[in-house]
Amino acid sequence: MSTVTDSHAGRDGDTPVMAMSRMITMANQIGDFFAPYPPGRRAEGIRNHLRTYWDPRMREALLRHIDGGGEGLHAHVVEGARLLREITDRKGYYGPPPGKA
Amino acid sequence: MANPIKPDRSVITTCAYCGVGCGFKAQTAGGRIVRMIPWKEGKANHGHSCIKGRFAFDYYQHPDRVRTPMVRDSIDQPWREVGWDEAFRFTARRLQDIQARHGVRSIGAISSSRCTNEEIWLVQKLARAVFGNNNVDNCARICHSPTQFGLSATVGWGAASQHFDSILKADVIMVVGANPTEGHPVFGSLLKRRIRQGAKLIVIDPRRTETVRSPHVEASVHLALRPGTNVAVLDSIAHVIVREGLFDEAFVRARCEWDEFEVWRDLVGSDRYAPEVIGPQAGLDPADIRRAARLYAGGPNSAIYYGLGVTEHSQGSTGVMCLGNLSLACGMLGREGVGVNPLRGQGNVQGGSCLGSWPHVFSGYRFVTDNEVRAGFESDWGVPLDAEPGLRLPNMFDAALTGHFRGMYIMGEDPVQSDPNQSHIIEALRAMDCVIVHDLFLNETAKYAHVFLPGSSSLEKDGTFTSAERRVNRVRKVVEPLAGYQDWEVVVKLMNAMGYPAHYQHAGEILDEIARLSPTYRGMSFALLDEIGSAQWPCDENAPQGTEVLHTERFPRANGRGTFMLTEYVPTRERTSDQLPLLLTTGRILTQYNVGTQTRRTANSRWHPEDVLEISGGDAATRGIRDGDKVWVTSRFGRTQLSARISPRVNPGIVYNPFLHAETRVNVVTSDLSDWATNCPEYKVTAVEVSLVGQAPPERTAAARATPEAVDA
Repeated sequence: MSTVTDSHAGRDGDTPVMAMSRMITMANQIGDFFAPYPPGRRAEGIRNHLRTYWDPRMREALLRHIDGGGEGLHAHVVEGARLLREITDRKGYYGPPPGKA
Repeated sequence: MANPIKPDRSVITTCAYCGVGCGFKAQTAGGRIVRMIPWKEGKANHGHSCIKGRFAFDYYQHPDRVRTPMVRDSIDQPWREVGWDEAFRFTARRLQDIQARHGVRSIGAISSSRCTNEEIWLVQKLARAVFGNNNVDNCARICHSPTQFGLSATVGWGAASQHFDSILKADVIMVVGANPTEGHPVFGSLLKRRIRQGAKLIVIDPRRTETVRSPHVEASVHLALRPGTNVAVLDSIAHVIVREGLFDEAFVRARCEWDEFEVWRDLVGSDRYAPEVIGPQAGLDPADIRRAARLYAGGPNSAIYYGLGVTEHSQGSTGVMCLGNLSLACGMLGREGVGVNPLRGQGNVQGGSCLGSWPHVFSGYRFVTDNEVRAGFESDWGVPLDAEPGLRLPNMFDAALTGHFRGMYIMGEDPVQSDPNQSHIIEALRAMDCVIVHDLFLNETAKYAHVFLPGSSSLEKDGTFTSAERRVNRVRKVVEPLAGYQDWEVVVKLMNAMGYPAHYQHAGEILDEIARLSPTYRGMSFALLDEIGSAQWPCDENAPQGTEVLHTERFPRANGRGTFMLTEYVPTRERTSDQLPLLLTTGRILTQYNVGTQTRRTANSRWHPEDVLEISGGDAATRGIRDGDKVWVTSRFGRTQLSARISPRVNPGIVYNPFLHAETRVNVVTSDLSDWATNCPEYKVTAVEVSLVGQAPPERTAAARATPEAVDA
């Protein structure tokens, strides 16, 4: 397990929906899969995966962790997760968008 | 003398044990089942059967069957028997109270692949329409969720491309991480028949399974790879196909996204996937990887069959994508004799998968985030539905530990026994306010439940199962449900108790609703199945009797083309060490079924009285272990006791254990790592040490979190 602790536990009186260390592990694993894609598709692939598969409370906890510095997350995972806030109008779908970025 | 088991009645139904979906004539005398006769017209079995389906039916009248609902306020109290109405009132009040205090998303439901399509459908409707969230999942989460993900991403649908009989036209059969002669015996016989006729067999499996060599049958190539290296080896096979120009360019240009093919070709074609590089990492002779690649690509008809040895890894979904990529690159889709086919463990895993028992999709793998699809369900069900994905099964347990998830309805599942890292699951269950177990027996999970609803077996209900070949088979009631209600009736009554007006006269009306709301099931009905026996989806106006082979003209993706995913090999974080030098992997045996809740309650147990640990002669000798000795198996997570069996089936460095007996508690030792895409647990790779009982077991590392009671039997 990652050694990162639950840095946001207790903030505003509410805790993340699940242990932050587990979410960091999961997010980095997703990042590992999309790593071989070109940067644009890689970021959007990570964003799409989180948007489609993660409960909104998990996404929110991850974004708050990123707001607090994103300790333990790979840089390209942070980049992809941030797109959750920027791209809000798309349907969920699998994987990276088609075409080369 | 007169025939003592002369039946007075015969009902045609479908076996629930595995994903083959054999048809049987269940015969009764005086209201009790006396024998199961394999049905000659069954389209999966053609009159054949295995030792489970034919003989292991007595569990249905075992004295352990619970016949009365039970409730209790807390799990340290004894159970209190109550009537059905009181059980429903108690459950509804508790669940509604949790939601009032902790929010709409604080409860969820789990359906079972042992239950019918109609029951699975109602469980997801219970979560979506009555609980008002998408916290619904099914046991395929822990077995074949990567199949749905990996095949959807490449060929469009997470389902077998073929019917079983298609294998009789295959020239090359590649079996990956599956042991059909034990796990899917009737299909295993069909496979052997084709090999005897001259088809070539490639087996990719760490263990020398029965499929690798048995009388009349021997694999042309057996890649006995190190557990955890599937993706590396499959990419290496792809490397050979790409670098030697063995792919089917015409097929890829005509049917696939060529640009994506080129990106994939560059990845797998890189030197780092050369057999000479991957072979040593995976414990394989590079020449064998090349032989496997040339055989598969050469066909002319090559078919892939795979199982949990592909999916239950931290790269499970990537492994499935590798298979999708290979079949597309070599043009091995869209006709008889080819294809990519998951072998499903339980009778209705495919039904659970394609009928929306997932937190992110409705039936037919359509996203809950899709406004148009969701609107269709809202209008039919008469309530607004949540537009956000819900929690997956492992995440429900994670969220229970933080107090965000507090109530759970579990139909026909035993997560304490079947899910990984048992102590974590128990801790999560203990943290919940209302756990409802709906099952035939007081299973392990029921120890932590507040409500027990007695279930009905597949011999006591009407409905349908969808087998691993997408075949929808009728399940027919042979005997009356022991506790009074079929499982679907129990879900309806729970919905009603929570204030939702669901009404069905019989299970066929639920299938009608499924057909109304699910494009691939549009033509399904009891009437059709009663008339023609069974039908494979898609079944609609274009294919009124169903579809045997998928992808014949286009792939079910937006542009109709198959695509290639980049399948970089990322080694699992579960590694061997000086303290834990062996890799444990798990599997099935012929006579027993999954965690054995049913088959252990039949005479089939005589064939397999206990689970054993297979260990190589060398590894046993260095530890002073003799055949039959009791040993400790210790991992980072816990330890359990087993009898050792010295076996030539496993290579040095590997130990193997079937997961069928509760006493074994192998999931005390399995890890909490999971597939990157789906959270399907990594059951197939756990670093362990094995030591003689009586000698001190190795100290567990600091990461171990097992509670004492979960450790020592």
